[in-house]
Amino acid sequence: MDLVTLQGWLDNASFAILFLSMLVYWAGATFPQVALLPALGTAGMAIANLCMATLLGARWLEAGYFPLSNLYESLFFVAWSITAVHLLAENMSQSRFVGTITAPVAMGIAAFAALSLPDQMQVSEPLVPALKSNWLMMHVSVMLLSYGALMVGSLLAIAFLIATRGQEVVLRGSSYGTGAVRLRRTGDTSAVTRARAEEGKAIATDQPMSTPVLATTLAANATSPLTVATADAGATGATAATMTTTAPIAKQLTFETLGLADTLDNISYRMIGLGFPLLTIGIIAGGVWANEAWGTYWSWDPKETWALITWLVFAAYLHARITKGWQGRRPAILAASGFVVVWVCYLGVNLLGKGLHSYGWFF
Amino acid sequence: MNDNKHLQADVNGDHLASVSGSGAKASSKASRSIESDAEFHQNSNPLSTYLKRQLLPVLADLRLAILLLLAIALFSASGTVIEQGESLNFYQANYPEDPALFGFLSWKVIFSLGLDHVYRTWWFLSLLILFGASLTACTFTRQLPSLKAARRWSFYTKPQQFQRLALSAELPDGSLETTENYLQQKQYRVFREGDRLYARKGIVGRIGPIVVHASMLIVLAGSIWGAMTGFFAQELIPSGQIAPIQNILDAGPWAAPQLPKDWAVKVNRFWIDYAPSGRIDQFYSDLSIVDKTGNEVDQDVIYVNHPFKYRGVTLYQTDWGIAAIQVRVNNSPVLQLPMAMLNTNGQGRLWGTWVPTKPDLSSGIAVVAKDLQGTVLVYGTDGQLVNILREGFSVEVDSVNVTLEKIIGSTGLQIKADPGIPIVYTGFALLMIGVVMSYVSHSQIWVLRTPSQLYVGGRTNRAQVTFERDLTALLDHLSHGPEASQSNVANPTPVPPA
Repeated sequence: MDLVTLQGWLDNASFAILFLSMLVYWAGATFPQVALLPALGTAGMAIANLCMATLLGARWLEAGYFPLSNLYESLFFVAWSITAVHLLAENMSQSRFVGTITAPVAMGIAAFAALSLPDQMQVSEPLVPALKSNWLMMHVSVMLLSYGALMVGSLLAIAFLIATRGQEVVLRGSSYGTGAVRLRRTGDTSAVTRARAEEGKAIATDQPMSTPVLATTLAANATSPLTVATADAGATGATAATMTTTAPIAKQLTFETLGLADTLDNISYRMIGLGFPLLTIGIIAGGVWANEAWGTYWSWDPKETWALITWLVFAAYLHARITKGWQGRRPAILAASGFVVVWVCYLGVNLLGKGLHSYGWFF
Repeated sequence: MNDNKHLQADVNGDHLASVSGSGAKASSKASRSIESDAEFHQNSNPLSTYLKRQLLPVLADLRLAILLLLAIALFSASGTVIEQGESLNFYQANYPEDPALFGFLSWKVIFSLGLDHVYRTWWFLSLLILFGASLTACTFTRQLPSLKAARRWSFYTKPQQFQRLALSAELPDGSLETTENYLQQKQYRVFREGDRLYARKGIVGRIGPIVVHASMLIVLAGSIWGAMTGFFAQELIPSGQIAPIQNILDAGPWAAPQLPKDWAVKVNRFWIDYAPSGRIDQFYSDLSIVDKTGNEVDQDVIYVNHPFKYRGVTLYQTDWGIAAIQVRVNNSPVLQLPMAMLNTNGQGRLWGTWVPTKPDLSSGIAVVAKDLQGTVLVYGTDGQLVNILREGFSVEVDSVNVTLEKIIGSTGLQIKADPGIPIVYTGFALLMIGVVMSYVSHSQIWVLRTPSQLYVGGRTNRAQVTFERDLTALLDHLSHGPEASQSNVANPTPVPPA
């Protein structure tokens, strides 16, 4: 089959599948009782991921070099990274909500590349002398992978901010970057514990230990504490209240599990934690390449400056998570603003049209 | 018992206090140890005491670190928005005083703050140095104690100790043997003593950030060393000529030993490979290093992405030009006429020269070239295009035959020595290893077997969601018995509830 025809087919297919996946994820979030939808969304993302991988593979075959020489190819590589990191984040969090925010962004990128870019920018071009190096693959692919991971992390932080809007953030005082301390002591049926219990149910109803429950001696006599733990938090709380008078010392200790907000927050942290090393390696690879190609590893070129800014913003985020005075929403706000910074670094800088990184552009 | 609990909190790494704490608790802790230090060196000078007591806690404050990171980011961004290194006229034209951009950003403000060269202003470099100081302070007051705390673990000996962990549970059955085997399978390092068990994995996750900080200091040190001892120069050398390295654009105060004194560069040949479409495929320079007497001591062909190293000095292919054309007029010997770059107002690069066609120079042709593909444009005295001339062909003007023998290119070399590179690269290597290590989550699990219950508790510093799932799986394994989770366990008999 003709490689060019195949590419033309694959890029539109990727866009269409991502668009459908997005709708499926949104439907899945709206109708949580339909268990099939999240699985369908995951399948969609996986297929789109393979489509884009095949598209880039076909270009590699056609051009004979790693296909990262122009905007069209780099957009598809970023979209591919986002879907790949999405699948990882979804698997880690077991949450149907990840796709509701990552799918539209991946879809938007694929749409821009496949539909908005003029045809002459979609064809693969020979490399300019500066790009003829094995470092191209090292540097650019790692950078774009890191953008993907950082974007997914930022998007999850945005999802976290949406999920907790108008609420007192429960994470206060103990970030999940460091804290493993029980928010309330056993026996304290506080609002916080209940709030977590309700959130917990939303994401993990199929897990045996989704609700933090204050089980009683009665519960402890059951065959397994795990089965009891799925009981309704409110009801058990009431039982606890009545049983306290008779058996004050015998409260069963069970997990205080993470709620939806905590899960989104932690997976956001993990994805940024994954993107950050990739960004570091990508910047260093770029520096070493620059030193090989024109004799300086750092020249304050706009693109590399913005890569450094991205690095600094996410470094600030990682430090904010372990800082006592910077808890609650603030790290998430920093991570969410990182989404804008990544885009400025990836595309915004090239709008300036100057510097060492202006290849494959129509500006 | 209270005392004991407090001790546990510290020893087992209540990392909220020992790692995170920019809060009051950590500061007071830090200053306490500093005080005892100060008492020990009672007669040390008051300045160092001041530095330790007052300055160190401020420097090590994570809020300062975050502020510094964001400030460096912000000022770096300003340098990508405001043009750097332009002339005074440029700023006067683009940033007038009235109306000033955003109401304040006039060329005077730009010049007084040094915003035309942000990355070399004293205040930007001071920020970087302050950042380095903060990194160092943080390493000593937080990271190392935190690592120490993580290594100096201890068993939980009382059920109450489990209550402070969010992930803790008690089970009526389950044995320490089962737990140990299970955790060992999951790559945990398990310690067991009597009825207590402690397991951990991923301690590299606590070493990683230390490596990151240290390697950033190494990169910083290497770049300073490079700036002090390195130099860089540019030369535009016509094909066939020898040139010493003289046009030094920047050299550090201690760069003298690096400067090439007893050798020069000879450009044997410079050429450009063009793709059939006319695009430039690659630039090549065949270079020789010659000693004072003109003898070749080394030779290599360089191109973009393939520099030439000689005695610590590296030569890069960065630019090119057209140096001269060789022509014959009628049957004259070959004349070499230098080509000059023409001012095109940024509309591409053109080189030109003038060839006389009459002995009294009253008439001639203008020759213009734009690349090294072998053709030139010939214009008459009246400014009209006469012909397009290829190498080896001739054109007749004023009944004189002008033959174009050859277009001679010149190669633009960047010549550089940076003795800081090995240090910077070491820093880069460690930095990459360090950030990857830092992804690992340090997980700890405590288990206590009392006559009636098995207490299990755990914590991790990064991967909360995954750890919670792992720990839930452990509890499942313990309560449903090893058969249910199909693992080969040495002692499959669960301890019955007492």
